[in-house]
Amino acid sequence: MRALLVFTAVFVAVFGQETFEGHQVLRITAKDDAQITLLRGLPELELGIDFWMEPTHPSLPVDIRVPSQSLKEVKMFLESNDIQYTVMIHDVQNLLDEEKRQMLKARAVQPRNTDDFDFANYHTLNEIYDFIDMLVVENPHLVSKIVIGQSYEGRPLNVLKFSTGGSNRPGIWIDTGIHSREWVTQASGTWFAKKIVTDYGNDPALTAILDKMDIFLEIATNPDGFAFTHSQNRMWRKTRKPNSGSSCVGVDPNRNWDAGFGGGGSSGNPCTETYRGPKAHSEPEVKAIVDFVQAHGNLKAFVSIHSYSQMLLYPYGYTRTPAKDERELDELAKKAVNDLTSLYGTRYKYGSIITTIYQASGGTIDWTYDQGIKYSYTFELRDTGFYGFLLPANQILPTAKETWLALMAIMEHTNANPY
Amino acid sequence: AHTVLYITGLQFVLKLTPHTPAASPSVPGQEDIQAAMPVEELDPSHYPATRAAKVAEHFINTRYGSPFAWFGSSGVKKAGLEVRAKLHFTLKEMTRNQDMGLCSAEVLFHRADERKPPQVQCTCSGAFQVNTSAEEEDLYQRLRNATSLLSGSDIPNSVGHIDPEMAPFWHLGGVASSFIMLRESNESTLLNMAHIDNFTQMETKDAQLMFQYDILLHDMVSQEILKWKLLLSWSPDGGVKVLEAEWDPKCRSCERAHLTVTTGIAAEQEMKGDNNNV
Repeated sequence: MRALLVFTAVFVAVFGQETFEGHQVLRITAKDDAQITLLRGLPELELGIDFWMEPTHPSLPVDIRVPSQSLKEVKMFLESNDIQYTVMIHDVQNLLDEEKRQMLKARAVQPRNTDDFDFANYHTLNEIYDFIDMLVVENPHLVSKIVIGQSYEGRPLNVLKFSTGGSNRPGIWIDTGIHSREWVTQASGTWFAKKIVTDYGNDPALTAILDKMDIFLEIATNPDGFAFTHSQNRMWRKTRKPNSGSSCVGVDPNRNWDAGFGGGGSSGNPCTETYRGPKAHSEPEVKAIVDFVQAHGNLKAFVSIHSYSQMLLYPYGYTRTPAKDERELDELAKKAVNDLTSLYGTRYKYGSIITTIYQASGGTIDWTYDQGIKYSYTFELRDTGFYGFLLPANQILPTAKETWLALMAIMEHTNANPY
Repeated sequence: AHTVLYITGLQFVLKLTPHTPAASPSVPGQEDIQAAMPVEELDPSHYPATRAAKVAEHFINTRYGSPFAWFGSSGVKKAGLEVRAKLHFTLKEMTRNQDMGLCSAEVLFHRADERKPPQVQCTCSGAFQVNTSAEEEDLYQRLRNATSLLSGSDIPNSVGHIDPEMAPFWHLGGVASSFIMLRESNESTLLNMAHIDNFTQMETKDAQLMFQYDILLHDMVSQEILKWKLLLSWSPDGGVKVLEAEWDPKCRSCERAHLTVTTGIAAEQEMKGDNNNV
């Protein structure tokens, strides 16, 4: 009721150019019928009183809007008749102004193009999906969207393809957000998407890469988990697929790949964070990427991005046997990390997964490497435990920018070293 | 005193000479060390060094952590492992981004009994001369004189935001958590405080201020989120003390309570069980 009256007031204020400055809304509690009768007589006093809730019965409140010039008289009337009241709204115009501000703000939160998108803040899944669609619309000759599958809960698995043409050119894959609580990764992925379209045609290095290769970017690789971190549990990591025979939900998508599947560094217990799943590629989010990679057949680099720890890692996680290309991967990691550090001094460690962070079986880049994608890397972005997963929004842009330098090093090397 | 310490850069390794029983004086704790164990030099960027450094970090925080100083780490330069890790590292106070100089620590992991907490010895060149006494006294007096008990929740929030007035209580939670994390650490853990669900100031009759904290810890190795309730006291003179600590085994990532949990210890082992690394 009040909302309707406020709306009416807004309507009148906007179109009737009436102002409600200094007007107050009083909530009156009449204690008996005699007081109700008195209140019914208020309009006769010709003080410009406007009933928002008419006097009917002593048990129900009476709300009146009182123009500023009549306030003193009305309050004296009430007090001299021992009628209880409180000031419900101290200044009606203030309230209208504030609501107008809120309405404008709500519209502003919806960016109309990707230039208006707030990269320095965290976003919901819908905002990211809207961003993806806008980016495609704005860059029809460079960007397209591929839906590689559906999540368990039926959400589209959207991949941005950046391509200047050709047919099945060698490709570079980047994914963020496979672990949903690692929010700085999805935020960085969004920034990377915009960075690519901005730099193509302006930055010689990126332009050279895109003239020969395609880039694929999956920003919300675990959309069900991501939605869950917004709605229910900020610390959710896994997918949201139920596990039969257990009350515990979800599979660790970075233990679900067919590379050393079932080994040490993954769990068979559905209630744990590193539960590997009933079988390799059981998760639709993982299967979709597997199918894409195998169908494409020409990916030359694969980068899967996580947080936190500040590390750049290469295979393997499931075995201590060094990767065949370890020397080259290590040298490239060193260069990439140096480039990253050059921007803000952020220190990274680098090395194989199993020696640098922990043993982990069934991991993404072990599988992609064993598929023949030589330049397979995993990032662990900021920080090292101070904020952990809850990285402040003001670190999104610095993180994205420094990580981009490392990504460029990897992409440039991939482009310069065809195999 | 209160500072939150992080290890910034481990500088060099001391190679340990093999321990010979005849030469060893009787030192408490040394009974766990096997005779003539060769020293393995550790790669500073590999996890054994990183994990040992994190333990040293927690140790330093328990001694020198404060609502107004929280130290952070940056990198291991060198490390050696016997049953213990010897580390040299640079230390940083995180709230002011202040370099604190060079520290050396020994972290002894009890391999024979993983439930025994690691032993740490540590000395730092610059000592922990963070002058926080004015701010501590100010906060202490404000809380003593306040008419109502303070509380807070969701620190940091989902987007990593912390209200400036809440920051000292975030640091305090981190320092108090270090007591628990020090005790719970072993060679297969890397613990950080992930979130303060809420904290409440409690009534006290004595000089110490008392707080109840509900916190979440994160173990990087198992990736588990561990829920702990802490009762802690603090005063500028008394420092930070953890009076009571209780682990809530109910799985945070589960829809319902973990069905097979019977005791805290059993649940702990279950959670860690499949992650026994080689």
